Amino acid sequence: MIVRSRVSAAVRQPALWLAIAVLAVLIILVALPLAGLIAATTGDDGDGSWGDVLASPMSQALFWQPLGGSLLVGLGTGVIATLIGAFLAWIVVMSDVPGRRVIGVLAAIPFALPSFAIALAWESVFRNDRIGGTTGLLFSLGIPVPDWLAWGPVPVILTLVAHYYSLSFLVIAAALANVGGDLVAAAELTGASRARVAARIVIPSVAPAVLSGFLLAFAEGVSNFAVPALLGLPVRFQTLSTRLYGAISTGDSARGYVLSILLIVVAGVILFIGNRTTGGRSFSTITGKATRARVTRTGGWRAPLAMIAWAIVIITAIIPGIVLVVSTLLRRTNSFDSGFTLHYWIGESDPSISHGMRGVLRDPTVLQATGGTLGLGVVVALGSVLIGLLAAYAIRQRPQARTANGAISLLAYVPFLIPGVALGAAFIAQFGAPIGPFGSLYGTFGIIVLAGIAASIPFAFQTAKSALGQVAPELDEAAVLTGASGPRRLARITVPLVSRGLANGGILVFVTMVRDLSVVVLLVTPATPLLSMMTFRYASEGFAQQASAITLIIAVISVAATLLARLLEKSRDGRPERNLS
Amino acid sequence: MTRRPLRHTLSLSALAACGLAVTLVGCSSPATSAPADDVDWDALSHEELVEMATEEGEVNAYAFTSRIAAIEESFEAEYPDIDVVASDISSSELITRLATEHTAGSATADVAYVSDAPVVVTELLADGVLLPYVPSRVSDALPSEFQEPLPANRLSTKVLMYNEEAHPDGPPVTKLWELTEDDWSGRVVLVDPNVRGDYLDLATEFSLRADEMTSAYADHFGEEIALDDGVPDAGLQFMKDLYANDAVLVDDTDTVNAAVGVTGQEDPPVGFTSYSDRRDNEEEGWALQVASGVAPSPGIVFPAYLGVTANAENPAAARLLIDFMMGDDSATGGPGFEPFYVAGDYPTRTDIDTPADALSLDELAAWRIDPEASAEHRSDVADFLLTIQ
Repeated sequence: MIVRSRVSAAVRQPALWLAIAVLAVLIILVALPLAGLIAATTGDDGDGSWGDVLASPMSQALFWQPLGGSLLVGLGTGVIATLIGAFLAWIVVMSDVPGRRVIGVLAAIPFALPSFAIALAWESVFRNDRIGGTTGLLFSLGIPVPDWLAWGPVPVILTLVAHYYSLSFLVIAAALANVGGDLVAAAELTGASRARVAARIVIPSVAPAVLSGFLLAFAEGVSNFAVPALLGLPVRFQTLSTRLYGAISTGDSARGYVLSILLIVVAGVILFIGNRTTGGRSFSTITGKATRARVTRTGGWRAPLAMIAWAIVIITAIIPGIVLVVSTLLRRTNSFDSGFTLHYWIGESDPSISHGMRGVLRDPTVLQATGGTLGLGVVVALGSVLIGLLAAYAIRQRPQARTANGAISLLAYVPFLIPGVALGAAFIAQFGAPIGPFGSLYGTFGIIVLAGIAASIPFAFQTAKSALGQVAPELDEAAVLTGASGPRRLARITVPLVSRGLANGGILVFVTMVRDLSVVVLLVTPATPLLSMMTFRYASEGFAQQASAITLIIAVISVAATLLARLLEKSRDGRPERNLS
Repeated sequence: MTRRPLRHTLSLSALAACGLAVTLVGCSSPATSAPADDVDWDALSHEELVEMATEEGEVNAYAFTSRIAAIEESFEAEYPDIDVVASDISSSELITRLATEHTAGSATADVAYVSDAPVVVTELLADGVLLPYVPSRVSDALPSEFQEPLPANRLSTKVLMYNEEAHPDGPPVTKLWELTEDDWSGRVVLVDPNVRGDYLDLATEFSLRADEMTSAYADHFGEEIALDDGVPDAGLQFMKDLYANDAVLVDDTDTVNAAVGVTGQEDPPVGFTSYSDRRDNEEEGWALQVASGVAPSPGIVFPAYLGVTANAENPAAARLLIDFMMGDDSATGGPGFEPFYVAGDYPTRTDIDTPADALSLDELAAWRIDPEASAEHRSDVADFLLTIQ
């Protein structure tokens, strides 16, 4: 009797069903590809890869040193990016620093720029004579640049920080905006010092966001391949991702997959530690009461703070942006001597330039690819934000279900550590053959969308989780008393309250999707051209200007999307209050 | 994930139904999976092949080079009723994609144009994913080594290049072993062979040519080579000494080109890169030149393969495209070979002239890799390189 009533109670629990549904989706999109990855590394297919990686004369160079490199880069990127992101978020949301709105817009841009643009900007200043060719500005002025500053972990970390602090900034700014001014004011009335207010109220209330920002920057840092390859290899600095891509591209994919599984394990440990350190310390700051963030008077600090904030965004957003623009205008790659031209944008075919390729704006496939890219970005953003929101909501509804929640958190965190090529291959294996009565998804837009969603769940989940962490549970409980159904409560109360967080998640997914290549490369067909494929094609054939031009189009689309989301948010401001008052 | 052997089953009834009955539209319909063929492709006349291909009306090609777009244009100009659908992706992705699609039994390309020959041998040929097709009209002019295991239409290179502006009197090195000496410490640039397959092929070739490396060592240093502990042969000893001499590893061929080639350098490095990249000298402001005459060899030449997929939906059009890309009977190979007719790359057909402005293949004297031998040996070389980092 007791058992039966428990079961029937469980059946009647919508939260349980939600958790089951979320897990099912994550299993199909993430766990199965992951299982395929593991299967490929064991048995005959694996060819002894685990032993090679972990216990062989190669282990040192193949795993242990790169592991050190990855941890250094991941933690360095995660910590510094989070500090900078948090600082800028505070400047933009809570300070009276001049031009903070513009800073807020600019701080979201670096993520939309390709990481190589920032790496190139670094090289154009700090490159020394280590590998020959054209040296950077400092070296040509006669200032010796030591190898540690030009190559290896220092420039790799700083370049990645310049790229990924946007993640922490967006997530933390969204959280800070929800810290009610009345809360701070109340604390100040009790005589609490500014430091005490910060330590006891502001910081705890944005802790989930800080953790999410750190986790995203960490994962991006360890999975990035382009930057460590460009700036690390010349001094033989290796990370797991350079080893992983190297193994796959030299034909030893099983070994590459072993490395990526180990990378996932490392990330899982970091996720676990992160959740433990901040667990149970989050504050509910979204109470449904209309509050505005309180502006902190910075007094004499105003000018120096403004200078620091402006310097950060100028160095990371404006300068790399200019580098990118200029690189599309140079007649000759990376050389100012031979002058500027608009040929690569609008030129007619000229056999003496780029093997007769016409300017990108004259290429009809560019327009078609722009449409395809936008469509993919929007659909994937909507899909993964929905899944991310439901996953975060499911966890919140059943805090006692630790195992299930741990599984959801992990599955929603690791996808972008699965190498894109492996994820793509897993999707072909999974959806390539017709499934039951359904036809094969392969070669359709649908499979690209599914793979895109799988790959970008981490952004959507982390942003949704940090936003939900601030919503006071009393609001939901009050609505339960009114008899509102679960979906209705989610749609009418929770979603409007966390809309800013969700919008940020959507932007992040959209931006990654429009420029991401690794996931889609195995799945696209010529019928669905994408801008990222075009960049790759131009870059791999040495057409640097055309590659930069397409990259710039991608960046403009991303920035436009970010601004659009901001505008939408503005027009929504006040609506939650109105609904609830 | 990519190494499962797959036995392609031939359906006799399907064979009988299709056969040479070119008027049967159903045979080329994409709906049928694994359209097996009993067609004796070599026995078909060109006209018959064109007729069957036109009936299919489409051919799907994966290529590792964007120059496939030019082929698409010229092929469609030649055969207006056949639509070429071309995708270009990198060789390693192309190989993964073909292998996975084959395993999943999903729709795939008809033709693959692919580099990374040793990986093709282990990942695709062993599993029967790709089949050879050598048009009978070119087989006399195509040396047998370029017919097996898949036909190659051209050869590319990874050879030692130097900056001819800084060294107008010829290469600054005449022997590979010089690169392991103090003069060249920190001044030899190459892409990390553990990152890129073609550079792993180069390192593998040093090892396979250990005898030549041994005698070249004796020629240069005047004494017999003494291998370090754990170093299996003279070729790998060369790699170890090169690494120990602070060779600069980078991630990309263009980085090598720029490091070696940029003009205005006082003391530029040398590096291993593609001879054909010299054609970009003027556009990019480089002064790349091949270090010809370097003993025992300046580097390697390797093939780009053409293959028909085992499950091709358009088997006739696939073969017609390969026929087209093998070039016509003119001295430059005509429109089907035109995108590949560049100085520093080499047509495999003996009746096509070597492009002007480049050394002939004999003058270059680079080692020709044997993809099957490389395939067997290269993972050992990759492992060895990981122990000498």
